[in-house]
Amino acid sequence: MLDAVKNYLNSSVTPGEAGSQLWATVYIVAITLGVSVAVICMNWLERKILAHMQIRLGPMRVGPHGLLQPIADALKLLIKEDIIPANADKVVFWSAPVVVTMTAFTTFLVVPFGRTHAVTDMNIGVLFMLGISSLGVLGIIMAGWSSNSHYPLMGSLRSSAQMVSYEIAMGLAIVCAVLMTSLQTGTGTLSMIGIVEAQSAQGTWFIFKFFPLGFVAFGVFAIAMIAETNRAPFDLPEAESELVAGFHTEYSGFRWSLFFLAEYSAMLAVSSIAVTLWLGGWLRPFANTLSGSAWDLAFSLIPALSFLAMGAGCFLGTIRMPKIIQMRVQTIGLGVFGALLALIGLTLLLPGVRERVQDIYWFVAKVACFMYLYIWYRGTFPRYRFDQLMKVGWKVLLPIGLAVLIATAVVGLRQELWAAIVGVLQ
Amino acid sequence: MSQPIDTSYLDLDTKDETFLDSTEMVLNMGPQHPSTHGVLRVILKLDGEKVLGTECVIGYLHRGVEKIGENRTYTMFNPYVDRMDYVAAVSNGLGYCETVEKLLSAEAPPRAQYIRVILTELCRISSHQVWLGTHALDIGAITPLFYAFRDREEILKIFEKYCGARLTTHAFRIGGCIYETYDGFEQDVKKFCTFFLPKLDEYEELLTTNRIWVTRTKNVGVLNPEDCIALGVTGPVLRASGVKWDLRKAQPYECYKDFDFEIPTGVNGDTYDRYLVRIAEMRQSVRILQQAVEAIPTGPIMAKVPKVIKPPVGEVYHSIEAPKGELGYFIVSDGSTQPYRVRVRPPSFVNLQALDKMVRGLLVADVVAVIGTLDIVLGEVDR
Amino acid sequence: MSVTPLLRKVFLVDLLKGMSVTFHNQSEKERITEQYPLERPVIFENYRGQPRLNTNPDTGESLCIVCNLCALACPEQLITVKGERNPVTKRKEVVSWTYDLSRCMFCGLCAEACSTDALELTQDYELALYSRDGMVLDQAALERGPEPVRYER
Repeated sequence: MLDAVKNYLNSSVTPGEAGSQLWATVYIVAITLGVSVAVICMNWLERKILAHMQIRLGPMRVGPHGLLQPIADALKLLIKEDIIPANADKVVFWSAPVVVTMTAFTTFLVVPFGRTHAVTDMNIGVLFMLGISSLGVLGIIMAGWSSNSHYPLMGSLRSSAQMVSYEIAMGLAIVCAVLMTSLQTGTGTLSMIGIVEAQSAQGTWFIFKFFPLGFVAFGVFAIAMIAETNRAPFDLPEAESELVAGFHTEYSGFRWSLFFLAEYSAMLAVSSIAVTLWLGGWLRPFANTLSGSAWDLAFSLIPALSFLAMGAGCFLGTIRMPKIIQMRVQTIGLGVFGALLALIGLTLLLPGVRERVQDIYWFVAKVACFMYLYIWYRGTFPRYRFDQLMKVGWKVLLPIGLAVLIATAVVGLRQELWAAIVGVLQ
Repeated sequence: MSQPIDTSYLDLDTKDETFLDSTEMVLNMGPQHPSTHGVLRVILKLDGEKVLGTECVIGYLHRGVEKIGENRTYTMFNPYVDRMDYVAAVSNGLGYCETVEKLLSAEAPPRAQYIRVILTELCRISSHQVWLGTHALDIGAITPLFYAFRDREEILKIFEKYCGARLTTHAFRIGGCIYETYDGFEQDVKKFCTFFLPKLDEYEELLTTNRIWVTRTKNVGVLNPEDCIALGVTGPVLRASGVKWDLRKAQPYECYKDFDFEIPTGVNGDTYDRYLVRIAEMRQSVRILQQAVEAIPTGPIMAKVPKVIKPPVGEVYHSIEAPKGELGYFIVSDGSTQPYRVRVRPPSFVNLQALDKMVRGLLVADVVAVIGTLDIVLGEVDR
Repeated sequence: MSVTPLLRKVFLVDLLKGMSVTFHNQSEKERITEQYPLERPVIFENYRGQPRLNTNPDTGESLCIVCNLCALACPEQLITVKGERNPVTKRKEVVSWTYDLSRCMFCGLCAEACSTDALELTQDYELALYSRDGMVLDQAALERGPEPVRYER
């Protein structure tokens, strides 16, 4: 037993590559739990951050500063009455949320949180993620169809049309990044871990490669991924103030929460793709300019410091709670939560833990930045009308994606191209 | 001309013979809808996504205000007029008091006029803020609503300090004002003006040049000036189409002659121009406020009006520039203490009739934007 | 001159400006939310809330002289005042005084019309009840004035 743990800790490949079923299963369970916890955190964060942007407070009552609100929401959804519309296709109605959720979770099989911290490393990793998330579109159409009402049907058709259109732009941007992986070694790779290692070998994150080409490709992907996940400003299929309701209108209670889970998991998944392809995955910032063991040490302290800072923030909140007797339980709860965070922070200071947690922390931190951006966009922008949305996808992003792809190819192969031209001219 | 809609399944008086084409469908934007600004029912005839015709069904908020007016004395009817356009209650009261004063051939003293103008301009800003927040919300920008209501909060605090109520203010009386300005009234208004102008710049930064906002609102719901005048549309909708008509300048009432302000107009008459016109109007209102607050004269605040108001037999029509358009009151007096007839000309009611012309050929998603840009309040439409 | 709009469009300047507005509004000093019922709003003295019949602080007698002006002024006619002349002091005294809070629109005409300082609208706005029984206030309830109920956990 201890041998198994030692073998795992000393291995240099992912459990899938090592062929270890036990650890792969452990990873799958951990990732499922982790994504679920992340979705719960996203729920709270979205409500709080959006509220702060709207100069309000957000949830404050359920738990200190609303920290238990997502749990209350989950409980409420679980105990709601399960309504199935009459004449709905029951099998399809039941299976649509399952399809959407399962595809969203399956994409996390190849997401690398570190060199050894992925379930497995397929050599077609990125393609796998794109393909599985396209399957999610099927689930949306199934949901709209089985509701037996023409508003959800129209909404689901629109939603699926939007997702399919923006997948093209996403694909072009991804090919651009994959192109860049072949630059030094001569062979490109679709494997997620391979792409991050290519960035590490070439010494620069792909977002800064051939500036501004990498940046433009990243920009195209960043906009396309928002439309892919039906978030503002591309959330017309979900918007209540427009006439056609979304595909999940007829779903209530637990089934709706599955769609909700799937939406946030999809957001996490496409953000993971963006982070892996352009932002260097698990690599720490300034790995080349600020290199050396001193800088390594400094950067390895940052995870611990961030948790300690969060704990300090909780303590500050505890001190500033209203000092009345009704808030006693909440104040104590917030204090305990702050102590927990501080404890995690202290644990992360230990040398053994520090090294191993680095990769995971940087990956999660970068994905968290994307989540904040998602919420920020939702708070700021109005939404596009459907035809304008499609226009942006096909007439703006697609040409830019093509152009940046060709430009990257030309710039990346400039020596070979120049030699070929010279050879032809001679 | 307009295509008649097949309403044979509805319980309306007008039944017509045409049947729906096979590609057309009727969609009901029911009285309960997040974006119809009240209980408005719009029946849309669609061809796919395109709107071919609309029919508005109103009356869900009819409370018989005009009938109530026939059974109350002139003073007693004053609180009821606030409830029509409940978003901008002060201007309703102003219109009514001025109409009765016209009937009595009385005039409010200068100090009362200045107080009335200050409160009415504050009310104009607060009504436009509600418009801004809800219109942005319909188009999808969810934050300006909260910013707008924060500014409105400051104005409502001033109203509360002045007359005791935030929304249904009942601030004015026939013949002038009954409440004297409280200590610090001028400072509060000045503070509000300095607080508000940077916020207006913030809203412009958030929306005016935002490409999503511009694509959603440009060339949506175009109304040319001839149609405006033919339909009787007034207010910012008329001014955005290019017609420079504002009752504060064309038929000045109260002491608007003393102030220096401009009438913003638009060029195209689309939703974007109406947005720009209303933002510019808010700036001009702040300008009026700043001038008025410096120059409030001293003196009485109530004219010599009898305690029991019994106007001479006659009829009068007087209108003011409410935030939503021309708000008119037509009062027929038969010499007794209760009016014979009080007829209100609500701006939203007349502006709503332009909806049909504006949404022909637009997509369904634009109908919501156009209803928002007309700035209707169902309390006024239905009375 | 036409380069600047193009650059602004390409670099998404308008979108970034909007994002900066929402970003700096996140700071705590922009928030004005009051957490009711822990924090209650400041109500100014002019506020037209629940009515109260004032009494003479020295003698405890009602200040109302049954002139009936408030009942005549009310647009909803929800005040009924009955009094009888006291043969000793030659002044009218209140026999019954009712105020129907359910139809009141808090316009303030009654308090304006009152010839003494008897009828006054207080700053109490928390008038919700569980049944309609408490809505018609009699003289005793009106003289007690507003009794705001604070709920403890």
